[in-house]
Formats: sequence, C-alpha cells, structure tokens
Amino acid sequence: MTTPTAVAAARRQDLAPRKRWPYRKHAVGLLFLLPATALICLFTLVPFAQAILLSFQEWDGISPDTPWVGLENYERVFGDQVFWESMKNVLAFAVIGFFIGNAISLGMAMAVHKARRARSFFRTAYYIPGVFSVVVIGLMWGWLYEPSVGIINRLLVSIGLEGLQQNWLGDPALALGSVAVTFVWYHWGFGFILFLAGLQDIPAEQYEAASLDGARAWAKFRYVTWPHLVPVTTIVGLLSLLGALQIFGTVQVLTNGGPGYHTMVPTLVIYTEAFTSHRYGVAAAMSVIFGGALVLLALIQLGLTQRRSRS
Amino acid sequence: MVISTESTSTRAVVTGVPRPPRTEQAGRRRRKWGAEQVLLYALLIFAALTALFPIFFLLTGSLMSLQELYRGASLLPTELLWGNYATAWVEGNLAVYLTNSLIYTLTSVLGILIVSSLAGYALARLEFWGKNVFMFVILAVLIIPAPAMFIAQYKLLIGFGLTNSPVGYVLVMITAGIPVATLIMRSFFVNQPKDLEEAAALDGASSFTIFARVILPLARPGLAAVAVIQGLGVWNEYLMALVLFRDDNLMPVQRGLTSFVNSETPQEQILLAATAISVVPVIILYLLAQKQIVQGLGAGALK
Repeated sequence: MTTPTAVAAARRQDLAPRKRWPYRKHAVGLLFLLPATALICLFTLVPFAQAILLSFQEWDGISPDTPWVGLENYERVFGDQVFWESMKNVLAFAVIGFFIGNAISLGMAMAVHKARRARSFFRTAYYIPGVFSVVVIGLMWGWLYEPSVGIINRLLVSIGLEGLQQNWLGDPALALGSVAVTFVWYHWGFGFILFLAGLQDIPAEQYEAASLDGARAWAKFRYVTWPHLVPVTTIVGLLSLLGALQIFGTVQVLTNGGPGYHTMVPTLVIYTEAFTSHRYGVAAAMSVIFGGALVLLALIQLGLTQRRSRS
Repeated sequence: MVISTESTSTRAVVTGVPRPPRTEQAGRRRRKWGAEQVLLYALLIFAALTALFPIFFLLTGSLMSLQELYRGASLLPTELLWGNYATAWVEGNLAVYLTNSLIYTLTSVLGILIVSSLAGYALARLEFWGKNVFMFVILAVLIIPAPAMFIAQYKLLIGFGLTNSPVGYVLVMITAGIPVATLIMRSFFVNQPKDLEEAAALDGASSFTIFARVILPLARPGLAAVAVIQGLGVWNEYLMALVLFRDDNLMPVQRGLTSFVNSETPQEQILLAATAISVVPVIILYLLAQKQIVQGLGAGALK
C-alpha cells in the first residue's frame, strides 16, 4: 500500500511543521543536557549550597529539626585545636607530595623516555600502585610498617641494620613521614604517566638542534624539555596538590589520625566530627572552611596558568 | 609563542660553547652512552622493585601460616598455604562484597556513559542557549572537592530515604563521574569528522536518531576510555561507601574490607589474602585496558 514515495511524502509532511518551530534546536540541545544537569544540580550543587546552610545550623544526624545557631559552629571550629593541627599535617603532605612526588614523577618519566628497551614494562610497573584503592594501600602498608613482624623491619634485620628498626606508624616523630612515604609511593605514577606523554610529544628535532649547538644535558632540559612540559606540569601540580590535600582513606586505614593527632587530616576530622561525635553543623562549618580553601587554591592556580599561557 | 622565544634563547646561550672536534665527540659519546644506559637501567629497575615490592610481600604474607608470620624468621613462605584464600573468601564475606562492587561499578559506568555521551555530544556539536553556562558549570563542579560536600550529600540522601541504599550510592557515583567523562566525550566528538552526521541529517533523521545510530557506534574508543577510567574510580571509591552503607550485605568491597578489619579482628595472613583477592579485578582490568587507562588519564587531566 504505502509506496516509498508515499512514505517520503508523509515524512516530509511530518517534518515540515516541526521545522517551523524556531526553538527546536535549543530544545534538542537542552534535552541532551537534561540528565547531566539534573544530576549535577541535585547531587552536587544542592549539597554544596546545603553544606553552607548547615554550617549555620545544629543537627545531630537524626532529628528532623535543625535550629539556626548563627556563627556558633564557626566559633567552635576556630577554637578546635585538632582541626588546625590537621590543617598543618595536610599542608605537610601537600608540600611533600608536590615537591618530592612530582620530582620523582618527572625524573622517572625522563628516565623511561631515555630507555631504549622495555619502556612499556616500566610504564606498566610504575602505574600499578595507582590502580589500587586507598583501603588496599592502607592495609598493605600497615602490614609493611608493622613494628614487630612487618616486612620493613624484617628486611632491615636481614641486611644487618637492626638498629634502624622503628615503630613506623606509632612513633609521633615518624608517623607523618611514614604516611607521606606511602602517599608518594601510591601517587607518583599518575604524574609519571602524564609527564611521559608530554615528553613523547616533544619533537626530536629540537633535541638534535640543541645537540648540534653543543647543548649539554642541563641546557637541553632547561631550554627544550621544561618549556614543552609547562602545561603538563601545571595540571599535574594542581591535581597532585588537590589530591594530597584531600587525603583521607589511606590515613584512616593506616593510623586513623594517630598517634595522638600526629597524622590527623581535615577530611578525617570532618568525618569524625559528623559520624562519631554527631555534630553535623560543626562538621559542615569545617567542610566550608576547608572546601573553600581548596576551591580558592584551584582558582588561584588556574588563574596563574591562564596568565602564563597568555603571556 | 613561549616555545619559539625559548629556543632562540637556547641558541643564544649555547653559541658561546666551543664545539669539540667531531670524531672525538662521537667516540666519547659512544662510551658515555654505555655507562649511562647501565646507570639508567639500574635506576629503572630499582624504581620498578620499589613499586612492586609491597605487592610481592602482600602476596607472600598472604600465603604464610600465622605462626610463620609472627616468628618472623623468613621473608618467604616455606609452604604456600593457598587455603588462606579460601578462609579469607568465606570469613571476609567476599562473595557478597565483590558482587556488590561489581553491580555498583557496572550500573554507575553505564549511567555515566549514557549521561556524559549525551552531554558531551551536545557540547561538541549542537548550538543552543546556555551552552557556555553549562560548560562553565561543569568546570566549576570539577573543582568542588568531595570533603566540601559529603556531609551535605549524606543529609540530602537521608531526606530521600536513600542512605544505606544501592540507588543512592550509584546516583552519587554517576554524578561524581559526569564532569570528567563529559569533557572526555566532548573532546572526542569535537575531533570526529562530521560527514556521516550531515548525511544522516539530509536524510531527515532526527538529532536523537543520529546520536543513537550514527554517533554512538563510532564513539566506541571514547566510551571505552571513559568506561575503564570511571570503572576503576567507582570500584576503588571509599569515602561515600563509608558514609552511606551500614548494612554489611550492601557494602562494596572497599567498605567491606574495613568492616572485616574492625569487626572480626581477622588474623593478619587472612586479611592479607582478602586484600589480595580484592585487587584481582583491578589488576586484570589494568593489564587488559592499560591503553585506555593511560589515554583516559591524559584526556581527563589535560582537556
């Protein structure tokens, strides 16, 4: 019955009125974005706003009423030594992760880039720690650091360095450093992968030209490698900094902030304040202060990048 | 811009250096390269051992008996006790945790793929009001960190009755994945040729038909990269799993492992075996899909 021409005609008729609606293209575009917009609004933007509101309220986690308490939560946070101690600790993690972690990432990326054989083996090996969860990292390193039978102390004994055995996670002087070592071990592969990709994008002719000019290793690095890596360095720097500042699971599983508060970090303080002490308002105030600082840091870093790339 | 000025300054700096005669330079270089490569490989192998030794000792510890572990006499197990793995599987409730993790990961990844490919396509190809606003929102959301939100997300989910619920967890996971996934998909679509879409449009196909029949099948490499990187992220997620789940039977494996540690005080070798079992899926995924992971990391970070 319906010949192809009839179908085509019907379709054309069908299309004609739709084409006349001038806002169709906008509606289609917005419809494509609807699921993403709805989810982001509901589960990111609303909670973000709600965190700010909750920081001026009191809530025990159960009761339906959340009375307004003004700045009381913030006063509490400002007087909270543990919170500020945790800010200091996380700053130490950030500095160590940023400088030492990224130096290792960059150094090893250059080493692998120079290697003639087995590059992909090394790349695979170096990123393996990065695919584990924070819980696995915590359990695994908890075992390595175990004071009496942990592998690190036993390795020290087996090579005749009994004197260097330590209570790695229990000694207040060492705990922060031990967690930082774990953190760097866990995360350097990420920067490494990105630096390596950046190095592979540098045209070989530029090195050849520099060699012909007699440039030594340092000059090549300074004037060829480094300028090419600026975009990668910026993003790796930002992400590793933000990653270090948000450290949580590794610390919770390894030390739970101890001994005392020597490895306490803000996210863990916020978590404990809410889910152990049931002071959700105070926890919200902390997350506003800490989260706000993180957002500010990201904006500053991105602003600097923009300015650098424009100049 | 930056690059060209830098390379001129290179020339300026190095012209002052006198060039050694050619033959001497070539000879010296060959000798130096030999020593250099040996040192280089020493460094590379040392770093590989450092990256791998914790995993090695996790495995050896998981195969020892408790007595041997605590005697501390040998670094390697004298006898491989594979039974530890069976014990860990049962005591650690791993069948339940791993199944949960698998379900949460697959549903979250599916959700992320659908939502982010739609959004990424719209941002790459369609023209409409508010496109720039949405782009800005995505970038803004990217810099809001989890510690700023998780308390409020918990409160919100209580309001919906979605705490201790797979639905609540998966919705939060999908939302967390959207920004990066959308940016990856967008940059993927931007680099795709337009011919096929235009041909389909001339045939009178609607935008949705074009998307489902023409665009998505061609987007498989982009979807694969997003799926692998997000799958890894969801499988390894811990903070929200800790906050949301109370019921042991609903916990994903990361949360389940810490629950195992805290409630039953398992013997160390059993705990190590349980930990080892929990990483088997990610190791397999990593070895199979390393290319996608590396691409996804690069794309997610740089675009």
